[in-house]
Amino acid sequence: MEDFLTLLLAGVSVGAVYGLIAIGLNLTFWTTKTMNFGQGSVMMLCAMLTATMVAGGWPQALSILVALAVIAVLMVFTETWTVRPALKIEGSMGWAVSTLGVGIVLQGLASLWFGSQALAFPDIIFTAIDNVVVFGVHVSLQYLAVLVLALALVVVFEALVRGTVWGQAMRAVSMDQDLAAVIGIPVRWIVLGSYIASGLLAGISGILVAQIGGTVDPAFGFELVIFGFVAAVLGGMGSTTGALAGGIAAGVLQQMVGGYISSAAQHGIAFALLILILVVRPQGFFGQREFVKV
Amino acid sequence: MLEVKDLVVSYGAVEAVRGVTLTAVPGAITAIVGANGAGKSSLLRAITGLAPVRAGQVLLDGQDVTRVPASKRAGLGLAHAMEGRRIFRHLSVEENLRLAWQFGRRRNQWGEALDRVFLTFPILKEKRRSQAGLLSGGQQQMLIVSAATICEPSYLLLDEPSLGLAPIVVREIYHFFTDRCRENGTTVLLAEQMAAMALNVSAHGYVLRQGQVVREGPSAELVNSGLIAALSSAYL
Repeated sequence: MEDFLTLLLAGVSVGAVYGLIAIGLNLTFWTTKTMNFGQGSVMMLCAMLTATMVAGGWPQALSILVALAVIAVLMVFTETWTVRPALKIEGSMGWAVSTLGVGIVLQGLASLWFGSQALAFPDIIFTAIDNVVVFGVHVSLQYLAVLVLALALVVVFEALVRGTVWGQAMRAVSMDQDLAAVIGIPVRWIVLGSYIASGLLAGISGILVAQIGGTVDPAFGFELVIFGFVAAVLGGMGSTTGALAGGIAAGVLQQMVGGYISSAAQHGIAFALLILILVVRPQGFFGQREFVKV
Repeated sequence: MLEVKDLVVSYGAVEAVRGVTLTAVPGAITAIVGANGAGKSSLLRAITGLAPVRAGQVLLDGQDVTRVPASKRAGLGLAHAMEGRRIFRHLSVEENLRLAWQFGRRRNQWGEALDRVFLTFPILKEKRRSQAGLLSGGQQQMLIVSAATICEPSYLLLDEPSLGLAPIVVREIYHFFTDRCRENGTTVLLAEQMAAMALNVSAHGYVLRQGQVVREGPSAELVNSGLIAALSSAYL
């Protein structure tokens, strides 16, 4: 029973991070119908930079802020040089190749700079062995902190999107870019902002996962972004609640399979489930079928 | 003053507008009539900055805005009710109006602006919390013209405001924008396939055919010249 609860908490908390990654992917999908296929490298870079700076003696909070600032600049570059040019041609999928390319280059550069060895990631609030006992079950504080932080970010994100003028403007851009431009919404800035926000969510996710795993290496983000993508598709592309639910479902499944069957089967089963769900419910759990009224 | 000089709009090899020059009559309605595909929408979309302009100029108050991005032209007092019921379908009626007010060139308070819309179209007040996509066609068109005029623009482009609507709703929409624009001294460009109706409310008219102006003149003259009958027989 204790094993089960431990796996469940691990699954829910890692899953909440997958949800964050998925929300980041959703964001740019809303504004431009594109997503950064190099997002895994963004997570890796953010975690690696943080780990390197902390190892170099910088304060943790400052290291994280600097790493996030680097990510923001990187996203400006990604949007301006790899996505926008491709979108000038109607129906072009060039952005998929170019964003993936940037991701691969970053991964290569990271191997060059940091070496391909895994770096130890510092304990930020709690260590891996900190825990509290709830009803006789040991609950890892690290997992709990990650879960709380991820959920808090989702709530803040949703409040910003629903409750502020800029959030509404972003939804407007996602529904009809031309109309948004005509009424004076600075579409260009909203798109750029969505890429920056998407990168920051990915960077934070990278730090959270690295915290749980304890190490980062240049290939670190690849698997994460795939789970983030699974979460987004499971939940129904574009839905925030869906992304969170999809992420948690994927995380729990991954942990259960890893814990009870074999950790080698984690991915296979996750994808088998993805295929199954897409066959039964192509729009995902929370996705709406587009209604078109004539 | 809203002027267009030798404007060419092309999508790849297809030229939708081929050298159009026109001046909108200040403070009045100027009609642009012509068949489907004559280039009316492309002309209006070029004026707002949505369609790719290959040559020529768009001038607002003498200022060349041809290279100004669409999102900045709203701030210059330009509004555009596009064809095809363009509306933020998943946002509520009030949210649609709010965004148009928030990002436009604001001259009035939000509360006043909203009250004015609700006074004109009480049905929109009733449906203020409904998703815009769930309104009837007529209600959507009311919302669209209300959103386009909520900031009291200096220039208003209307693209086929009558398309697909019941005659009684068309009359209501036409009343609304003719009254409102006369009151505010708005300069209007009205694109319509229904030539009779558009020429009836306008001071001046242009006839477009295959992207070029084939005729222009005071609307009354165009009506008397038998143009409407010619247009109807040629295009309908």
